[in-house]
Amino acid sequence: MTGSGGQQGPVLGARRYLVSFVGLGVLVALLAVANLCLGSVHVSVAQLADALFGGDRTQTYAQVIWDIRLPRLICAALLGAGLALAGLLLQTFFNNPIAGPYVLGISSGAKLAVALLLVSIGGLGVVTSWMSVAAATLGSLVVTLLVLLVSRRAQAPNTLIVAGVMVGYVCGAITDFVVTFANDASIVNLRNWSLGSFSGSSWEDVRTVFVVVVLASLLVFLLSKPMGAYQLGEAYAQSVGVNVMRLRVAIIVLSSVLAACVTAFAGPISFVGIAVPHVVRRLLGTSKPLVVVPGTFLGGAAFCLLCDLIARTVFAPTELSVSTVTAILGAPVVMSVLLGRQRGRA
Amino acid sequence: MKGARAGSDDALLTTVNLSTGYDGVCVVGSVDLEVRRGQIVTLIGPNGAGKSTVLKTLAGQLAALGGVAYLDGRRLDKLTVGEQALLRAMLLTDRPRTELLTCEDVVQMGRHPHTGRMGVLGEADFAVVEDAMRLLDVCDLRNCDFMRISDGQRQRVLLARAVCQDPQLLILDEPTSYLDIRYQIELLGVLRHLAKERGLGIIMSLHELSLARQVSDWLVCIKDGAVMAQGSPTQIVTCEVIDRLFDLEPGTFDPLTGNICLPVGHAGTKASHGRASLGPCGAEERSCDVGLQHKE
Repeated sequence: MTGSGGQQGPVLGARRYLVSFVGLGVLVALLAVANLCLGSVHVSVAQLADALFGGDRTQTYAQVIWDIRLPRLICAALLGAGLALAGLLLQTFFNNPIAGPYVLGISSGAKLAVALLLVSIGGLGVVTSWMSVAAATLGSLVVTLLVLLVSRRAQAPNTLIVAGVMVGYVCGAITDFVVTFANDASIVNLRNWSLGSFSGSSWEDVRTVFVVVVLASLLVFLLSKPMGAYQLGEAYAQSVGVNVMRLRVAIIVLSSVLAACVTAFAGPISFVGIAVPHVVRRLLGTSKPLVVVPGTFLGGAAFCLLCDLIARTVFAPTELSVSTVTAILGAPVVMSVLLGRQRGRA
Repeated sequence: MKGARAGSDDALLTTVNLSTGYDGVCVVGSVDLEVRRGQIVTLIGPNGAGKSTVLKTLAGQLAALGGVAYLDGRRLDKLTVGEQALLRAMLLTDRPRTELLTCEDVVQMGRHPHTGRMGVLGEADFAVVEDAMRLLDVCDLRNCDFMRISDGQRQRVLLARAVCQDPQLLILDEPTSYLDIRYQIELLGVLRHLAKERGLGIIMSLHELSLARQVSDWLVCIKDGAVMAQGSPTQIVTCEVIDRLFDLEPGTFDPLTGNICLPVGHAGTKASHGRASLGPCGAEERSCDVGLQHKE
């Protein structure tokens, strides 16, 4: 599909990585500026610079930027990065390019756990962001283990996906059930949140997200070497000295934490986990985790910034759910992966 | 021929009464064998006899049900995977599916036990990778996608990967499958080179009896979940042993040519065929030796 893969030597490869990373970095920066400037209150670049680096925060635009857009921007970027990395981890784990937290029902499991939390003790008004992250992590771990159990029984890669989708539906149904019988106050919260959106991110959220996502991402990066060996399968990974059991546990825990963190703050967001690692691998022309992991981090951030920008501005003042946008942009990528695989097999 | 098995000072791999199988059910039992440095040991036997099961156990992929295996003088089950990886590399029958990895990337994965925390290769590593790729004649495939080469090419790339792991013991499950006759002979030449020049111990399974006889220093016959016989190729590749190993009609296997006579309609000619091919067979053997470039 890349075409150039046939001729590229190590030097060309390194240059390609460099160009790709610089490109992704610039993209993230540009999208960040666009996210800060565009919206119902238009902010010029000069005003933006003034608001960010100047001392005066009493202006309306400065308040919009500091109180609304900047925390939302940081959340969207970090959560997008985390979600994309969760997808990459699951694809490595299941050796299946269309595995991802949403497809495998992991996001739905996290959503159910958070819904239960909100409904059970939400009325008391003591749900902190850490509590919802913890509940979501528990939910996503349970679903991951469930899907893992099914995939152990049935080896075919498609069974895995079907199992994940089914588990996702069951979790969704139970969530609906819970919502139906919840009191009005919790429902309002649930409705907004369960559609998937970065809106309403506070600086407190930013702090939690930053700690969880950055820590987990660093750990994922440190797993680059064994993940690379794992690409040849469990047996070959073990033969070069990878402690396969430990790696598998690490991958499951990290992907669950990352997917859960996203779900706890922004609701279930579809397709980011599949589409971003795929595009990044094509961009870099390799699937070596040492470069794909940081690439996916940047790519996920850029993708979610773009999707959030579209969700906020295209039909303003009506705001789309971010999942609507990620699905429209991400689903074609998944289709192309499937078709590409068909071609590769022929 | 290093057939005589006196003294085991340079024993690399030893098993004592090893038994192994899946889910607690024994598939192969009482395996006593030894691989010494510079020696090629080949497991032969019918399909499903448990050759792969034995190799998987020696490879650490499968826990032994009983008995002990010693690798480089230490109990295999007491070594960490990291320690094992420094001593032993393998080529399995699994066909890995990769995405966007070049053949060179795959070969480089063999350096995993020798690189640091992030797996970045140094100058020395690149030299070892280069050497392994040259040995297996896969330099031309360097930048090809691993999924877009033939099965035989993949086999050689995976073996180059195992060689650049720089092991003392090499475990190969059916290394000649997917290879055409020329590469089969070249591969066995490479194995002899690794054993005789670099002092590696090699244990593998082979289907081709004629190749097994040519390349091996020691043959182990596995049948019905046990070691039926073991010895030097001249001791093992005889009518009696081979016919019994594969449940053939007596006289079906011709030890001199390595040929199998089809039983139907050939019953009358079998015995005479064996005798008649005495002459040409010797010549054939010599011509094969020329093909094995690295043979001593």
